[in-house]
Formats: sequence, C-alpha cells, structure tokens
Amino acid sequence: MLVVDDEVEMQRALRAGLSYHDFDVRAVGSGEEAIREATSWRPDVILLDLGLPGMDGFATLKALRPATRAAVIVVSVMPGEKDKVRALDAGADDYVVKPFGTEELVARIRAVLRRQADVPAGEPVIRSGDLEVDLAHRTVTVNGRVVRLTPTEYELLRYLALHAGKPVTHTTLLRQVWGDYAVGDKYNTRYVVAQIRKKLGDDSANPRYIVNEPGVGYRLEG
Amino acid sequence: MAGALTRRLAPYALAIGGVIAVTAAIGLITSLASVPGLSAIYLLVVLWLGARWGRGPAVAGSIAAFLLYDFFFVPPVGTFTVRGPAELLELIVLLAVALVTSQLAASLRRTRGGAEALARESRALYELATAALRSPEVTVALTMLSRRATELRSISRFSLVAVDSGQPSVLAGGEASLEELKQAAWCHENGRPVGIAVRDGELKLMRTHPEAQSTPAYLPLASGVAVVGIDPATAAPDDLRMLTALIGLADLLLDRRRAALETERARGFEASDRLKAAILSSLSHELKSPIASLRAGLTALAAPQAGLLPEQRQLLIDLDGQATRLDRMVGDMLALSRLEAGVQLDKEPHRFADLVGSAVRQLRAELAGHELAITVPDDLPPVEVDEMQVGRVLTNLLENAVEWAPSQGAIEVGAAARNGVVEAWIENDGPPIATGDLDRVFDTFWTRRVRGSGLGLAICKRVVEAHGGRISVENRRRGPRFTFTLPLAPITVAL
Repeated sequence: MLVVDDEVEMQRALRAGLSYHDFDVRAVGSGEEAIREATSWRPDVILLDLGLPGMDGFATLKALRPATRAAVIVVSVMPGEKDKVRALDAGADDYVVKPFGTEELVARIRAVLRRQADVPAGEPVIRSGDLEVDLAHRTVTVNGRVVRLTPTEYELLRYLALHAGKPVTHTTLLRQVWGDYAVGDKYNTRYVVAQIRKKLGDDSANPRYIVNEPGVGYRLEG
Repeated sequence: MAGALTRRLAPYALAIGGVIAVTAAIGLITSLASVPGLSAIYLLVVLWLGARWGRGPAVAGSIAAFLLYDFFFVPPVGTFTVRGPAELLELIVLLAVALVTSQLAASLRRTRGGAEALARESRALYELATAALRSPEVTVALTMLSRRATELRSISRFSLVAVDSGQPSVLAGGEASLEELKQAAWCHENGRPVGIAVRDGELKLMRTHPEAQSTPAYLPLASGVAVVGIDPATAAPDDLRMLTALIGLADLLLDRRRAALETERARGFEASDRLKAAILSSLSHELKSPIASLRAGLTALAAPQAGLLPEQRQLLIDLDGQATRLDRMVGDMLALSRLEAGVQLDKEPHRFADLVGSAVRQLRAELAGHELAITVPDDLPPVEVDEMQVGRVLTNLLENAVEWAPSQGAIEVGAAARNGVVEAWIENDGPPIATGDLDRVFDTFWTRRVRGSGLGLAICKRVVEAHGGRISVENRRRGPRFTFTLPLAPITVAL
C-alpha cells in the first residue's frame, strides 16, 4: 500500500505500524510522486493526506481516480465534513481523521480491501446482520421476514447495499436514487431513510443497519 | 427711511387723487345731463383701492369720496351738511364697501403671498434636500443644513452632534463647548429634549425662563442631537416650519451616517472573523499534526508484532492515552474558540433520534459497559439544528454520563416536545453534583474530574445557547440529569 503524507515522522510511523500488520508499504511526500507510484507500482490501497504541499490532496485524488483502481482512504487533520463529502464525491472510498491509532487504521484498510474483493464477485445477495438485500429478485428480508419497500426506498437501500461499509454522501444518494435532475435536498434522503428504518424494524436512535455518517450521509453496516 | 415713508403714503395720495378724479368726472357728467345714482362710481374706486392697496387707502378713499360728494353734489352744494338718513346711509355703504373689499382683497393677497412664500420655501428645501442627500459626505450635507438654518432670523446656531458609543462629537455647525457636548450626550442617552420639542410633527419652544435663552436648546434625533440657538422673541411660525424641515433632514442624514458606520463595522468584524477562522484552522493543523505522528508511532510500536516486552507495550499504550487526551483538549479548545468567535451554524431539520443514533454509535466502545436506555418518542417533531454541533453536545454529555455512572450503571437519554421546543435530557445514576457546584458546571475550565479539561460542558452550553436554547443540570433521585432545549423546525417537515 502507498502512504502519501508530507511529514516524514508520519511516513516512518505508518511504514512501521502497517508493516507489522503484513502490509507492503511505500511512502511518498507529494501528489506528483503519488501518481507516479500509483501507476507504476500499482498499490491496492492508497492512504492520501489532504493537506499536501504543492498539488493538494483533492487535485491528487482527481488525478488518481482514472489512473488506478486502488482503494483510496483520505486522511485529514481537519474534521471538516465538507472536506469529507468532497473527497467521497471525488471518488475516495473512505476517510480517516488524524490523529488515529494504528489499529483503527488497519481496521479501515481491511474493510476497504474486503469491499474491493467483494465487488468483482458480483454477489447477488448482500447481507448486513440479519438484513438481506437480494439484488437479483429485488427482495429485502429481515430475519427471513419479507419487507415491502417503495421503489424509491428500495433504490436507496440497494445503492447503500452495493456500497456496504462505505460512507455514501447525501449528494450521491440524491443523484443515484432521484436522478441527475433531482431538485433534491437532504430532507428527501433523511425522510426515506427514516421510512426504511421503520420498515426494517430498526431504531433511529440506535440503528443496526443504516447508520448515520454525521454531516456526510449514510452507510450500510458491512 | 424717507423712502419707506413715501412708499407708505403713496397709496393714500393715490386714493385721494383717485377720488378727486372721480369727483371731477361726476361733475362733468352732471353738468351735461342729470344722471341719478352717479355716486356708485365712487364704489369702483374704493373697490380698486381695497383690492390693490388694502384697507387704509380704501377707507381714506371712501371718506374722501363721501366728503367730496356731499360738498359738491348734495344740496346745499358747497357745504358739508348731512341731512336726513338717506345721506347717512350712503356714507355708511361707501365705508362698508371700502372695509369689506379691502378685507377680502387683503386676505386674498395674504393667501397668494403665503402660497408663493410656501412654494419658494418648499423649492429651497427640496433643492437643499437633494443636494444634501446626494452629497457623499454626510458632514458636508449637514453643514449645508446648518448654514441654511442660521440664515433664519431667529436661529443663531444650528449644530449637529453625533454620539458614537457614548462619545459626542460635533459633525457640523461650529464648535461646541465641553459642557454643551456633555448636555448633548445626556439628551441622546435619555432621549430627552431641552428647551425645544417636536409634538405632532410641529416644533415647540419650551423656554419660559429668560435666563435659559442664552443657552442653546437640544433636540435628540434618532442618531444624534441637534443643538439649536433660537430666540423665541423673533421665532416666527415660518422659521419654526423651516427649522422643523431642516431637523427632519438632519435626522435622515444622521441615520444614514449611522447605517454607513454600522456596515463598515460589520465589514471589519467579518474580516476579523475570517482572520480568526484562518488562524484557528492553521493552529488546528499545527497542533494536531505532531499529535497525529505521535499516536501513529506509539500505536505502531504497541502492536504485539513489534516484539516489545509487555511492560514496554503497556507504557506505549499509556502514552498513547495521554496523546489522545492532548488531542481532545486541543480539539475542545479550538471548538470553544470557534464558538466564541461566533461560528456559523449550519442549521437544518433533523430527527432528534438520528442525532442520538450518531452520538451513541460514536461512543459505542465507551457505552458498552453501561445500561443505555433511549426514550425518544417516534412522533417527536424535527428539530432545526446544526448536526455536528448538537452531535458534540450529545457526545460530551454522554461521555460525562459514562464518566460518572458506576460501571454497569444506567444512562438514560430522553426527549419530549414541550412549549414549542424539544427538551432533551441525559441522566446517569452516578453521585449527585454538590449543590454549590450546580451553577458552575458549565463554566469554562471548571471540572469535577482530576483530568478533565473543563471544556466539554462549556462547549455544550455555548452550542445550546447559539441555537437559542437553554441547558441546565439538576440532581434527580437517581442521579444528575442534564436538560437542554432545541428549536423545532419552522415548518412541519416530514422526517
């Protein structure tokens, strides 16, 4: 995996920490180097710090996305939700806020790798706990009980299921579920998610399936 | 002087001359033929005199006409005898006509003169107002007003004083003494006029004491004070009318000046807010980056794969705990200073249950050892809040509850709609808060904990208050309960 961070201390710490977890790690300090490494060395995961000098994290992300199929986890010292949304909409797979512990980071990396591995298999049934979304038959069951959803509710759940474990932004959901010309706002997604939770027998105040990503959107537990 | 007298006497001469001319004409006509009622011709003259020259000449003319007519045409001709009621009546009619016509004419003239004066006045005012309002410099415009006011006979002075944050300063109309400035500031502060007042749109002089007339009158305006030197003895209604108009204009201009100042000040604040935000953002980066490297390094070495001894690993884990604490404190301090800098709230309708869900999820690990009960009614109306900020309130209060509840203790989160707000509470069954401390728990840097930063609850208070809500704490039977209110979404949003 490739670590992109301009601080040498951080590079060293991550190289050590991740190698103990059996990752093959390379570290670079700029966006340009990251793009070169991503195309020549072909890492599975890129850990990209947004606060890079010169070519910044967003520009790097935009340049990386067509060049590589690697999962990109964005790292930022600023817990600004707008940055998270921007990064996710620009194609990042997940984000981690600095500072973080190695364990937490490893868990995130394993999660994106797992998701990446799932996608080509094209599994027709996606599970989240006792929730099952059968994409081939367009059916949703909880504990074997069939749940009837409206087309909009199903589309939203399907999209979250296809990206299970990944945070999906409000804007992406609006575009995917309501279409490019949706005069959307976040109430739509909030309302539909509340309806789905109700039908799934889930509790908004302590959800099991669709969880909130505050300021960002939703995520279906993988 | 002689000229004025001549001008005053000229109409009388004209009256006498006119009447003599008419008398001659009547004499000429009667010498040719006997025409009755020729004395009516005098009426024409008297009418003309009354209309053109006013009452005095008209009366003089009518008396002269009567005398001449009596002398020349009423038998016995050549004497001033008045015989019988008919002649007396004739005299009375002539006099009456003179009086009535001159009265009518005079009032007509006065009205016309008044209308002309008014038109002149309005035009002058209009020109002044346009010039003043167009002038980019308020002080220049105010000086124009001041100059115009002192052109009035009874106005010796017209100064405009602005009072900016209690500090009086003269904007136009000459210097003012310290005493006068003090008086102006007092008037402004208390909204009380001195010596002059506007009632029902009319200016009224309130001076009765002759000594007081040597000092100016003060009239508080919306954004300043007019200081007027006025002599009540010569203050004609016209002057007062003009003064009223000028004061109205000055009021407008002072208001405009204040608005401009406020805009400027707001712009200044905005700039300093931007600067503050930029400093905070870079500070955040500068402080958090080293902590990030520390934590990444410490946790890397603490992994069993690093091959360190158990006690060495424990040391690293402890150190990572300290780094995490440091990070929290830096985060809290930055959050608090952002709130104090007046952070922009990103308010949107939210279901309160969703906010609780996010907070509970974030603190999954911490809450694991406790009995958590959430009682948020399904039909609770949506709240209009900044998701991230209120999320912080919930996590801070939940962490506080986790801290104080005994292990395996109970934590309750609840909410209910009450009096147009949502009232939420978080309760734990830990020890009560000392009564004396109940008011202080929300103070910045106050903490019951040895290792607390004392910022968590202070942040809660600021966030809740930024939303127009209130937060409080009380000791319930079970344990301490924090209660706070949040605004409802303005329209019923289906959520």
